Amino acid sequence: MSTQIEQQETETEGEEEETEPAVESPGDQRRATKRQRQAERDIQRETEEASLDDEETVSLKVFRYDPEVEGKQEPRFDDFTVPYHKGMTVLDALIYARDRYDSSLTFRHSCRQAVCGSDALFVNGRQRLGCKTQLSELDDPVRIEPLPHQEVVKDLVVDMEHFYDQMEAVEPYFDADELPADDLEEQRQSRENREKVKMSTRCIWCGACMSSCNIAAGDNEYLGPAAINKAYRFAMDEREGENRKQERLRIIEQEHGVWRCQTQFSCTEVCPKDIPLTEHIQELKREAVKNNLKFW
Amino acid sequence: MAEHYSSFERGGRRWLFQRLTAVFLIGVLAFHFMLLHFVNHAADITFAGTQARMGQWSYFATMWLFLVTATFHGVNGVYNALINQGISGSQKTAVKYVLVVAGLLLVAQGTRVALAMNGLI
Amino acid sequence: MSQSYNRGTVEDFGRWREFSAGMWAWIFHKFTGWVLVGYLFTHIAVLSTSLGGAELYTNTLQGLEALLVVRFLEVGLLAVAVFHILNGIRLLMVDLGVGLEAQDKSFYASLVLTGAIVVASIPTFLGGPLA
Repeated sequence: MSTQIEQQETETEGEEEETEPAVESPGDQRRATKRQRQAERDIQRETEEASLDDEETVSLKVFRYDPEVEGKQEPRFDDFTVPYHKGMTVLDALIYARDRYDSSLTFRHSCRQAVCGSDALFVNGRQRLGCKTQLSELDDPVRIEPLPHQEVVKDLVVDMEHFYDQMEAVEPYFDADELPADDLEEQRQSRENREKVKMSTRCIWCGACMSSCNIAAGDNEYLGPAAINKAYRFAMDEREGENRKQERLRIIEQEHGVWRCQTQFSCTEVCPKDIPLTEHIQELKREAVKNNLKFW
Repeated sequence: MAEHYSSFERGGRRWLFQRLTAVFLIGVLAFHFMLLHFVNHAADITFAGTQARMGQWSYFATMWLFLVTATFHGVNGVYNALINQGISGSQKTAVKYVLVVAGLLLVAQGTRVALAMNGLI
Repeated sequence: MSQSYNRGTVEDFGRWREFSAGMWAWIFHKFTGWVLVGYLFTHIAVLSTSLGGAELYTNTLQGLEALLVVRFLEVGLLAVAVFHILNGIRLLMVDLGVGLEAQDKSFYASLVLTGAIVVASIPTFLGGPLA
């Protein structure tokens, strides 16, 4: 991104100034540099915004909220006009707005390639990954909000604790009944079995599905699509063995497990990794019923 | 969280029964509508006609099963809807008993009505 | 989920314009379900007149059928029942894992079919003398 390169340049300029022989104290010098940079930035912003007139731009309406700053405790929407370039994503636009206009704009992001799962946002009325959503496919203005049904910490950052709790409740780690005698021996999976769990392994814990789920919104104890999908990934893994599978089924077949799914397909529709969540939940329901029929 | 899980929840059983009754109800409800609105016009219903139909044991049995399955399906559906809303604790227990009692009363009253139509009472 | 403040329409059903087929299907199924279970209780209550003798039963039913409102309500009930049946079949298919990719289309199909069946039944329901 051009933003960052320019930033680096200003930083190196600053360093150069500091190496010059100093008459003033280092503190004065720093403050002067800071003032200068601030002035530069103001001019830069003005010229930039003025120059945007003859450029293609995107307007963002971004949800803002900061419980720690008086005057920002009332949720509001801020408008940003950002120059558009081909291939630009929602995350790119947010980064631009933060770096050029308002450094207090807060949102999570890391890998920028739909792997880390940090930047699930509510964009134009739908849960999407900021880094995977092209601005070109959205209507202007682009309305960006934090994920619904989760508590907002600040701006676009939501509290993911409950989501992680639900994920951990299904014991999301490989745990075979029997380990190979030799610790270093591989635990190989058949190709067919790998195919079966393939889609479910793609989850990046972004929480988009959970946020889209009507039932998870009402019933706080519901495991939610992501956690059930995790359970599916291991319950269907043949290497774990029958005992472990029974334990896993017991977790998902509790009252607030799979039975709460009402097959609205919201999760399947918003999943940025195209995991067929509803299908997996339904399969686990049938699996649990079949399993219990043996005991009835 | 794992310690909250009881080893055998009835959620699965209710889920299955909801579907099994659904299959039965699809057929019987459609039949009920056809018979009492198209074959026999609703406005022409008389006690004599009802009695003639209910006099057949197969019809009587079907209607009684219809009553029981519909009550289960409906009451269980309401219960599920409320759990989906997130009710819990004493509220949930209260709702559960109210619904069970309402369901039982409905089946009891329905059975009395059916027997009256059949001419046994 | 607990909220530190009200985010307004971000959270609630005010966003119905953004609902997808599956959500609509769920809302309609739930609504029709409530109507049907409500009707079940009313139905048994009305039929209970049979306990008071043949005449009371016949008079009550025919008296109700003589009201135009009741005829219209019956058309409504038919619509509700037909949708609940058709979408119920759709949900059973979803439970069996059949045709999950077409779940939105099957919802639209059940809506259209409900409409068609109701329209075709209106003459039978509203027709006939009000006595």
